[in-house]
Parts: sequence; C-alpha cells; structure tokens
Amino acid sequence: MKINNTNSLILTRILIMSLAFFIIQFFLNVSYAVEPDEILKNQEYELRARNISGNIRCMICQNQSIDESNAPLAKDLRILIRNKIKEGSNDKEIYKFLTDRYGDFILLKPPFDLNTLSLWFLPFIFLLLGIYIVLYHNKKSK
Amino acid sequence: MKNKLLILPSIFFAIILSIFFYLLITERNPSEIPSNLLNKNVPFFEAESLFKNEKFISSQELKNEIILVNFFATWCKPCRDEHVYIKRFSNKKGIKVIGINYKDDSKKTIEWLKNLGNPYSDVLIDKNGRVAIDWGVYGIPETFIVNPSGIIKYRHVGPITSKIYKKINLIINENK
Repeated sequence: MKINNTNSLILTRILIMSLAFFIIQFFLNVSYAVEPDEILKNQEYELRARNISGNIRCMICQNQSIDESNAPLAKDLRILIRNKIKEGSNDKEIYKFLTDRYGDFILLKPPFDLNTLSLWFLPFIFLLLGIYIVLYHNKKSK
Repeated sequence: MKNKLLILPSIFFAIILSIFFYLLITERNPSEIPSNLLNKNVPFFEAESLFKNEKFISSQELKNEIILVNFFATWCKPCRDEHVYIKRFSNKKGIKVIGINYKDDSKKTIEWLKNLGNPYSDVLIDKNGRVAIDWGVYGIPETFIVNPSGIIKYRHVGPITSKIYKKINLIINENK
C-alpha cells in the first residue's frame, strides 16, 4: 500500500513538472533573431517591420521567417524592410518589392490566387469526399 | 457493392503511390526555387567595377549580346569549383561573362583572380549584397543567362557542374 502511495506521488510530481515545463516552453519559445542595432527608434515603425518580417520566409532556412532566422540574408532583408519603412513605403509596396524579386515563395502564407486555388480548396474537397464515402458506406451496411 | 468500396481506396492508394514514385525518380531538387525573374528584364542597378574606373550601369551594359552573370565570392568554396566552367564560357565567342563579387574583400578577389585566372570581362562589387537582392539571389554561386534583348532566360543556383554546363550551352545556342 505504502509503495503504491509513493509511486502515485512520484507520478503526480512528474506530471506537474512536465506540465510546468510545457507552459514555460510555450512562453519562452518565442525566439527572435532581431539584433539590438537593427531595432528602429520609432515604435510604430518597428512594430510594422516585425509584422512584415514574420510573414517573410528566409530563403536559406526556408521554414523560418526572417524574423527568426540568423542567416545573413535574413538580416539583410530585415534591415532593407526597416529602411523602406523609414523611406515611407507602405506594407503593400514592401511585400511587392520582395515578391517581385523572390516570387511568392518568399511569403510564408501562399497568396490566394489562380495558381494556388487547388492548394486552398483541395482539403475541403477531400473532406466532403470523405464525408460522402462514410455516409454512403453507412447507408449500405444498414 | 461492398467489394466496390474496397476497390476505391486501393485505386486511390495506387495513384498516390505512383505520384510519389514519379517525384522520387525524376531528377529535381525540392529546395530549389524557380526564379521570379525568368523571362523578365534584367533588374536595374549601378555598381562599382573592380578593375575599371567607371561606374557600371546595368541598362547600358546588359544588352546587345548574350551575357552570363555569375555571382561569386572568394570565401565560397563551390565558386572555386565552378571556376573552370566559367573560364570555358569566357573562351566562347559571342558571349560576355560578368562577375558580381558578393560581400567580399576586393584585395582578396584580385589575388584570387590572379591565381585562378580572370574569366570575367567585368567584375562588379556588391559589398553589402544589395545587388544580389535585386536579382533574387539567395545563395552563391548563382548564374544567370541574359539574352541580347536584356531578358533573363535562365538561372542556376549552386555551382556549375558538367551537366549544368551542357544545359547552359544549349540555352546559349537557343538564344543566339
């Protein structure tokens, strides 16, 4: 009986510790690559730059945004975006500048257009197909 | 009726399998990104030249003949590997080879070209990598073929190998 008790105690401790670990991870995991000398003094500008950088793919790491990447090209692009903001470009112009050179691939979220139509709609079509097959199957087996 | 339902997933599975198999056997590099500049005009840029005293203006120089634009640096090992092929291109008639020296030390570059031979009719300095961004470059070496009307016809990311060398030759002949 006693052994059982200590066992469950250890188990709950492990549970609580792992839970705490995940909660801490959740808040700590937001790591950024922006270096102090890159940050703009104007907070509004800086916020815009961070927002844009978060949507731009690092072409070298490919699954990171340039906001998170330490690659030299990511740094160059972060600085370029900040310079463009300081020069008065709006967000749309900055996105256009980047996609003109690197293509839509540089956007982490693919744009909604004719080329990407299947990308956006196929999951829903498959879902409907699945629902249909399941319903059809159920009807038959009854 | 039930049999029919069993066949359907197998057909579906077979289709998916064949698509995956096709993607496996065809030669492709999934991390390579097609250039957005293909079939578009050469980006406008100005740059200092390593050997000449005048400024290089893209709109004045990149036209009237086939031009091979090669982004390179002395710190980049694959650039050294592909240098043999760049030299072969510069020996060909009717093609101009221009090098863009990416984030490099000019002294080292002059030394490097002295040792390995200089295949470039002009070497442009891209100290901060800004010109490379205009060309959509993300990893050197990168090579572009520009046709006589100033349109980009081909882009290759990574060092030129014998296979790529042949491919570029075909594209050059097509655009003559």
